[in-house]
Amino acid sequence: MALRELSSLEKCLGLKKPNKYGTQGERKVPVLQNNNGAPLVGLVTIASHLVHEAKKTVLLGNSAEERAVVQQWLEYRIARVDNCPKDELKVILKELNHYLEDKVYIAGNVFTLADILMYYGIHRIVVELAIQEKERYLNVTRWFDHIQHYPGVRHHLPPVVVLRNRVYPSGHH
Amino acid sequence: MTTHSAFSAHFSRVFSATQCAKRHSHAPPFLLSLVLKMAAGTLYTYPENWRAFKAQIAAQYSGARLKIASTSPAFTFGQTNRSPAFLSNFPLGKVPAYQGDDGFCLFESNAIAHYLSNDAIRGSTPQAAARVLQWVSFADSEIIPPASAWVFPTLGIMQFNKQATEQAKEELKRVLAVLNQHLNTRTFLVGERISLADITVACSLLWPYKQVLEPSFRQPYPNVTRWFVTCVNQPQFKAVLGEVKLCEKMAQFDAKKFAEIQPKKEAPAKKEKVSKEGGKPQQQPQQQEKKEKKKEDKKPVPAEEEMDECEAALAAEPKTKDPFAHLPKSSFVLDEFKRKYSNEDTLNVALPYFNDNFDREGFSIWYAEYRFPEELTMAFMSCNLITGMFQRLDKLRKNAFASVILFGVNNDSCISGIWVFRGQDLAFPLSDDWQIDYESYTWRKLAVDSEECKTMVKEYFAWEGEFKHSLTYMFLRENAKTGIRMHVAAEEGLHIFPPAEL
Repeated sequence: MALRELSSLEKCLGLKKPNKYGTQGERKVPVLQNNNGAPLVGLVTIASHLVHEAKKTVLLGNSAEERAVVQQWLEYRIARVDNCPKDELKVILKELNHYLEDKVYIAGNVFTLADILMYYGIHRIVVELAIQEKERYLNVTRWFDHIQHYPGVRHHLPPVVVLRNRVYPSGHH
Repeated sequence: MTTHSAFSAHFSRVFSATQCAKRHSHAPPFLLSLVLKMAAGTLYTYPENWRAFKAQIAAQYSGARLKIASTSPAFTFGQTNRSPAFLSNFPLGKVPAYQGDDGFCLFESNAIAHYLSNDAIRGSTPQAAARVLQWVSFADSEIIPPASAWVFPTLGIMQFNKQATEQAKEELKRVLAVLNQHLNTRTFLVGERISLADITVACSLLWPYKQVLEPSFRQPYPNVTRWFVTCVNQPQFKAVLGEVKLCEKMAQFDAKKFAEIQPKKEAPAKKEKVSKEGGKPQQQPQQQEKKEKKKEDKKPVPAEEEMDECEAALAAEPKTKDPFAHLPKSSFVLDEFKRKYSNEDTLNVALPYFNDNFDREGFSIWYAEYRFPEELTMAFMSCNLITGMFQRLDKLRKNAFASVILFGVNNDSCISGIWVFRGQDLAFPLSDDWQIDYESYTWRKLAVDSEECKTMVKEYFAWEGEFKHSLTYMFLRENAKTGIRMHVAAEEGLHIFPPAEL
């Protein structure tokens, strides 16, 4: 899973030469063998490295605050979204939905690595949602639809259909 | 109905998703658009002109090379744009005006912004392009008029008129609600990326967001604010607009500034009257003269203070003569009564208030009955007939109150009501705008002290009673013969129109 995600990220970043990744441990944590020095371990570490390699460091945030927020949400992705037990998915959706109420992107007002990795991470959850649930988590759905249409992001993942007109308007706002 | 619209949305979504996937698999990532042929030229404007911003931001997105001529020697507002050379290219003498390095000339800010755009922000399919045009027109016709009417007095460039400001607030609320609904499920106005629609609508909301849309006012429209903040913080917007700070506290009428500007306007204002008779095209140079005056006085004022013809006309609108101006002031505060009527108990509070405070010199009470009840068919259509009338009488709102009731059932109904107006005569002939509906009714002035009047006011205000003073009574009796009695009908089919909010 993480490996496909990293290969999509490479394409998304416009990196021409695909890297070869290994995994380690029971959880199959991705590992990138670095030519000079110690291997890079973990999704966020490798992703940040790829961003630097592609010279797209704006994706890590433009100001100190933005960079901190990007890191915060990358951590959230790894710590909360990945390996999240089924009965806690709703909590994540609720948190995200609340957070995205007044935001178009996760950090600041621009598209960052936090959007990309959160999109990759949450895709498996959103794809399972019924229409009613997508409407309940309207802000997540709107953000998700925007990111999946962001040029070059989607790659390995199937598009999720999002309705513009609410079918159950009497429900949650 | 709902299911149907959801289905079609579903379909188009799938369609555009596959389209995007196709397009993007070929495009290099992060290269949002390939500019095939970039425009290059000069934009003439006065500094800080929100209309010019649209073109400038569009150029930021497309990469069009745009020189800005807003200060001397390149451009002096009021001089350059009145020179014969300028007027031969731009006959209106208005700015922003665009002249390409190739000699191509354009006026009207939306056209210039369109020209300086690339296909991505113009909308790359016919549908998307049409949607962009839709929002551009929406900005011009729905946002700008109320936004100007509200914001200009706070900048001290237009006289304050409470009624006009209140109406502008209401209109802007309606517009924001439309936008909020649209942006509920969408990130940007058209498609999944910024387009000319976002640029145009955001620029037209720039002044309201800076001046008057304080946190509590914008609180019901979180989607609009989210979208607006995102737009103005895009690097392409920021390069033109700088930091946009949202209003903290609603700006009020700037009387001091207005007074400062006023005397300076006096001299040309007299001339303006003369020139107005001479025809429209002369108006613009007059405004430029004003601007020049200001400049001579070395008191630079924000460029937005220059009203173009449309805005000047708008500014003039609230000053149109009050049709009731000839009447002496009345002690009866209609608004206070309306508040009581809509918020409190009719029989115990509103009606006593009405009886105690009604001013028989300043107001009159009328009974109105629809003349063609046999033409009334479906109840909802008749309701529309009544609401339509109220809408058309909107400007009468301050000076009238009415409670109109639709009695009966489908294909067997009649309309009648009680009206309260300023003055002793029917109000409708006072304005050309009010003449559409009233002739379809018979009007009978009621003697205020009569038992008949008291009963009717009570019955029509409370929407209950025998209604035996009106022809409605005949109608109800007829129905009684056919078995529909009043009190039964009230539960089963009698259609009472909601309170007349006039």
